[in-house]
Amino acid sequence: MTGNTAEAEDLAQEAFLQLFRKISTFRGESAFSTWLHRLAVNVVLMHLRKKGLQQVSLDEVDTSQDEPVKRDYGDNDRRLIGSVDRIGLQRAIADLPPGYRTVFVLHDVEGYEHNEIAEIMDCSVGNSKSQLHKARMKLRERLRLDRSLGSATESLPADEQVEEV
Amino acid sequence: MEEGRYEKSTACFRFDTELEAYLEGETRPFIAVHAQDCPFCHVLLSDLEQIRQTAREMPLEEPSPVVWANVRARLDAEGVFLQHVSGWRKLLAWRSLPHPVPMGVLAGLVILGSILTMPPRSTQRWDVPEAATTSPATITAPAVSTSQDSALAQLVDELESNYRANEASLAPDLKAIYEKSLVSLDGSIQECLDSLQHEPRNTLAHDYLLTAYTRKAEMLSSALEFEGR
Repeated sequence: MTGNTAEAEDLAQEAFLQLFRKISTFRGESAFSTWLHRLAVNVVLMHLRKKGLQQVSLDEVDTSQDEPVKRDYGDNDRRLIGSVDRIGLQRAIADLPPGYRTVFVLHDVEGYEHNEIAEIMDCSVGNSKSQLHKARMKLRERLRLDRSLGSATESLPADEQVEEV
Repeated sequence: MEEGRYEKSTACFRFDTELEAYLEGETRPFIAVHAQDCPFCHVLLSDLEQIRQTAREMPLEEPSPVVWANVRARLDAEGVFLQHVSGWRKLLAWRSLPHPVPMGVLAGLVILGSILTMPPRSTQRWDVPEAATTSPATITAPAVSTSQDSALAQLVDELESNYRANEASLAPDLKAIYEKSLVSLDGSIQECLDSLQHEPRNTLAHDYLLTAYTRKAEMLSSALEFEGR
């Protein structure tokens, strides 16, 4: 969700500290795992809000970037993005807006169901499904862009290619 | 070479509308049919399935050991792991409280808790020495005993002091029953202490000692309740 291992570990630490401090507030109204995940997600969202990088709502999934993902109908869009490598996907996930990223990670990576995500994120099941679809479309757009840039770089003469340091 | 442009058909709009539900597992035959006819929608569907598949195969990362060490250190600093120690200290500090009954009940519960959290008994054979009965005042924790034993012995001694201070208020028949039980328990405690002095590693004797202390604490707590009425 943070897109950064060190940051994720700091937040994991904070989440476990919060668990110890707030365990007495767990009333068994939901599954413990859901409660714990909700606590962890809140820690992350609070952190992101403090950073001020994106507008993040704790009560509702981020809808600030709800414009439909553009679909082109050119020759290039008839080509598959091919096999998606994990590193490329991880990078693309890290670039997603926090709301999309959270739902995508919870559902597609961690295997949570939409009703569980809705409880964790305090949103509707429909909202969770919609955010997930948009997240996937955004990821596809990003991966296609990466592939296009990669192809463009490969097609350059060797002396014009940017050397990675 | 200039890239050719294509028009989005009505079927493509329908595809876009139904795609989300299809990916969520709903039955939408139109999606598969249209994806076969339209190269753009076919690519879109394949891409999304590829992304979903790769995400599913991504490993879940475990936090490094440093995280757990930091959590432990922070909780230590906040005193979370020291609560039971401070609890003992508080109990020992309550010896001079003027209300023996609640203290006795509490001490009994604490001792019972310590028994329940003890490691299981070993199968080591324990030969009980000759029975020896002594007065309660002569019973003290041996030098070889643990600090937990000493704390228990102190608590029991304190309960007994409170009991002795008010024993005159007990009905004679009741007092006789308590005295008989006390003699029996003191005998057991003394046997255990003697055994531990000879065999400091005798875990069975240690278990019996803790049990005897617990029973004595419970009995004294009960007697203190009667004295308080």
